[in-house]
Amino acid sequence: MTGRGAARRVTLLALLAVLAAWPWLAPYFAIFLMTEILILGLFAASFNLLFGYTGLLSFGHAAYFGTGAYVAALLLRDMAPPFLAVLAAAAVGAAVVALVIGWFSVRLTEVYFAMLTLAFGMMVYALVHQWRGLTGGSDGVAGFPLTAPLPGVAVNIADPVNYYYLTLILVAVSAYVLHRITVSPFGLILRSLRENSERASFAGVPVRRYRLAAFVVSGLFSGLAGALFAPFNRIAVPEMAHWTQSAEPVLMTILGGSQYFFGPFLGAGVFLLLRQWITSYTQEWMFFLGVILAFLVVFLPRGLLGLFDRWLGGRS
Amino acid sequence: MSTFVAALLNSLDIGMLLFVIASGLTIVFGVLGVLNFAHGALYMLGAYFALTAVRWIELPFWAALVIVPFAVAILAAAVERLALRRIYARHPTQALLLTFAFLLILNDAVRMIWGPGYQIIDPPRALTGTFVLAGAVYPLYSLFVIASGAAVGLAVWLLFSRTLIGKRIRAAALDRDMALAVGIDVPRLYTLVFAFGAWLAAFGGALAAPMRALGPAMGDRIIIESFIIVVIGGLGSFPGALLGALILGALHGFGGRWFPQFDIVWPYVGMALVLLLRPHGLLGRSA
Amino acid sequence: MQRARLLFAMLAALLLAAAPAAAQEKQPIRIGAIYILSGAFATYGEFARNGIQLAVDEINESGGILGRPVAFMMEDSQGKANVAIQAARKLVFQENVDLLMGLDSSGVANGIAPVVPELQRPFLITHAASPDVTGKLCNKWLFRNSVNVNQNMKAAALVAKELDARRWTTIGPDYAFGHQSWEFFQKYLKAEKPDVEFMAETAFPKFGAEDFTPFINAVIAAKPDGVLISEWGGDLVNFVRQANNLGFFDQDFELLMTLGAATEVLYALGDQMPEGKWVGTRYWFLGKDTPRNKAFVEAYHKRFGNYPSYNAQNAYAGVYTFKAAIEKADTVEPERVIEAMSGLEVEAPIGTYTIRREDHQALVDGFWGVTKASGDYPIRILEPMRVFAAADITPPPEETGCNLQQTAEQ
Repeated sequence: MTGRGAARRVTLLALLAVLAAWPWLAPYFAIFLMTEILILGLFAASFNLLFGYTGLLSFGHAAYFGTGAYVAALLLRDMAPPFLAVLAAAAVGAAVVALVIGWFSVRLTEVYFAMLTLAFGMMVYALVHQWRGLTGGSDGVAGFPLTAPLPGVAVNIADPVNYYYLTLILVAVSAYVLHRITVSPFGLILRSLRENSERASFAGVPVRRYRLAAFVVSGLFSGLAGALFAPFNRIAVPEMAHWTQSAEPVLMTILGGSQYFFGPFLGAGVFLLLRQWITSYTQEWMFFLGVILAFLVVFLPRGLLGLFDRWLGGRS
Repeated sequence: MSTFVAALLNSLDIGMLLFVIASGLTIVFGVLGVLNFAHGALYMLGAYFALTAVRWIELPFWAALVIVPFAVAILAAAVERLALRRIYARHPTQALLLTFAFLLILNDAVRMIWGPGYQIIDPPRALTGTFVLAGAVYPLYSLFVIASGAAVGLAVWLLFSRTLIGKRIRAAALDRDMALAVGIDVPRLYTLVFAFGAWLAAFGGALAAPMRALGPAMGDRIIIESFIIVVIGGLGSFPGALLGALILGALHGFGGRWFPQFDIVWPYVGMALVLLLRPHGLLGRSA
Repeated sequence: MQRARLLFAMLAALLLAAAPAAAQEKQPIRIGAIYILSGAFATYGEFARNGIQLAVDEINESGGILGRPVAFMMEDSQGKANVAIQAARKLVFQENVDLLMGLDSSGVANGIAPVVPELQRPFLITHAASPDVTGKLCNKWLFRNSVNVNQNMKAAALVAKELDARRWTTIGPDYAFGHQSWEFFQKYLKAEKPDVEFMAETAFPKFGAEDFTPFINAVIAAKPDGVLISEWGGDLVNFVRQANNLGFFDQDFELLMTLGAATEVLYALGDQMPEGKWVGTRYWFLGKDTPRNKAFVEAYHKRFGNYPSYNAQNAYAGVYTFKAAIEKADTVEPERVIEAMSGLEVEAPIGTYTIRREDHQALVDGFWGVTKASGDYPIRILEPMRVFAAADITPPPEETGCNLQQTAEQ
């Protein structure tokens, strides 16, 4: 057990080392690509706290991603506070939205839960789309400055390399926190809800309250991802809150494997690299994604990591 | 007065079209327990098949309207046999994901075959032009859509309530194991029902083609609206689909006329309210 | 141990996938073009592609630019600013293009404008009409060779002032372009004809809306004297079809369709386009009698089987603008090319235009006309037609809000 834990730690450190050296190892454009992978990987991992660990399929997670994106873009445009303060405010803002939506949504489960989160997500979309005076409507919020991370820290984060490092640090810390949550007693209770919420309920677990807590944590980190995404794109647009954006973490998570903590990250990486690769040949890359997804759902419901696991004779 | 009538006609025109489509979605869910995310893509296929039939094979529009839904239904039956059948036993969200994959595949397949641009079909000559009702000028074709929707709805209702196959389907929907035990060939019935759902979606698509622009992903909006309808009416409920479609039609027809800025949000507010107050829909069976 | 190998496998997969593409050939001058290639507006991207293809082939057949051949690649903006920004980054940092051009929508142009300085490449906008990209968002890398909203609306006001219409309203897409068109139309028409009135009831359907019926009914019910319609592309096609069905064009009011004479739209509508309505465009293929224009229209028609739209001409002229600038600079070095582009004079089918130094807006003529069926053409043509000289419709630099001196220092 300790040997396995140590090997795991070594591999994780190696992965971190590669990510840390990425700007030297990879061509310039790959910095953008990896930044996006990290951000959307975080988004998918926070989605998976609800899906993989709690057993709730949210189809409206773009609501929190979009809230994070807009809070960040608007703060930068109108007040330009230090960047880390922007991120914190955006994450908290998204968590508040998640608290409100979650308070209603956790009453339902399964398809009904998916439909209700979809409805709430689209309300957030409609709000940012229609509130032209504040959000610029479908034109979005653009042209905002990228401020220094903290007062007195004169790092220009408009430089893609610096933005990459900022993203890497924040995503690594968030992933660590999320992972701690999943292995904590709280995380174990979430898993028991996924397996059998009735039994948990009989055992005295306040099911809704636990679901709501998971919902809010998930929304918080989704918001952080959105707050990193808008400045990365230099724009916040309503599409970031649209249901098609909600579908992305779902796809990434299924791709990577929802039963594994790193599944969503791997899924995000494979998703974006596939997109990058296929779109240089054809615009119709969603076709191939659809084929892969259908294949995975039918034959490999445990995703790519499940496949690796089986290959390597992993745990049963 | 004429403004009111125009809005009413607009509501009915949107509502009856959505009813045809959403009834297919709700029947499939009621029997198979599958919420088919690709239902809107089947609607799109109906429209594109009609385009091909009319423009390239040069069939009259009427013939296309009859043939196209069957072509799409056969395709859907094949998909059910090859893929969907394998996952009935799993968690219902898996079916949602699998059909979402179908949606991605079909959207891009349409782009590859028919191109990314928008295309249009003209309504048949007998139905071009307008009519005047209480001072409101309205396209004749919309009247045809309303009438077709009503006719299809009636036919489906008769099918389910008066025929043997309809009774079998209802039996399978109520209790799959019991249906099997009394000798109903449930797997075949499932294929049939899934194909019938596709038939309804494709009929809606062919019907809508002369009044909407055809483009890849034209089904994305329809599927979300169909979700809203079946949730409002009650998942699996056929009368619920009619009620939900009429409500949504009215939200667009009247809401779109007087509060166009809120047009995109009303349906979601309606869906959320229904889910919270009556999770199984206005006319759904409570579990 | 398995977990460790698992992670290692992941890592190796990532590294492999990110390995750089085969080394780039340095020879050709590379142009990256970003247009809408999918959805309701995809025909605009197709016409632009045709225009670029024609210009690139002509140039390559006559020896290239500075002896080097020209290559181009297209990316789909999907009409979304964030997609266009990612496409631009890909073109510059992965495909190593020397020059950027394109953009079909004002929203996209406004979103991408602040990012362009980071790309360090000349960016020539050939379609998007937002006043801001040569106004408050201008920078030294951004140029435009197409008529902008101000110019188009100034011409519209000159048309409108002679019409017998006092109360005006609008139907336009609900984003920057629709709102700005209405804003500038009011400003210029008020100056030309102070007794006009602008109604509070306006209609701004969502960009890409499919059902315009409620909006059409609302405008008919409001009984205006004149309607400014700034819908374009697939939206305009849908709008006109539905408006025909509802008898909109038989009503007793004047109509100005600001982009109604885009040939993409005219081809899509055929004889569904009503006759006798004022329509505007940013280039009209019968608008100029010059040999340059005739040669272009003939070559284009021969090759692609239809008549060039403004998007085709602007993209075609865009490639020649780059050619002229590179030859003037005698290098493709970006800083030198943008220096050469400022104040550059270009001979194009639309006429010879100058790119103004102060805001990088090309001084191009505006075209308006009345739709008419014609036996000689498969689409509606403009008769009578009015060509508005650039000098008469372009606001002076001080009015644009652009200050290149200031932005250059940033």
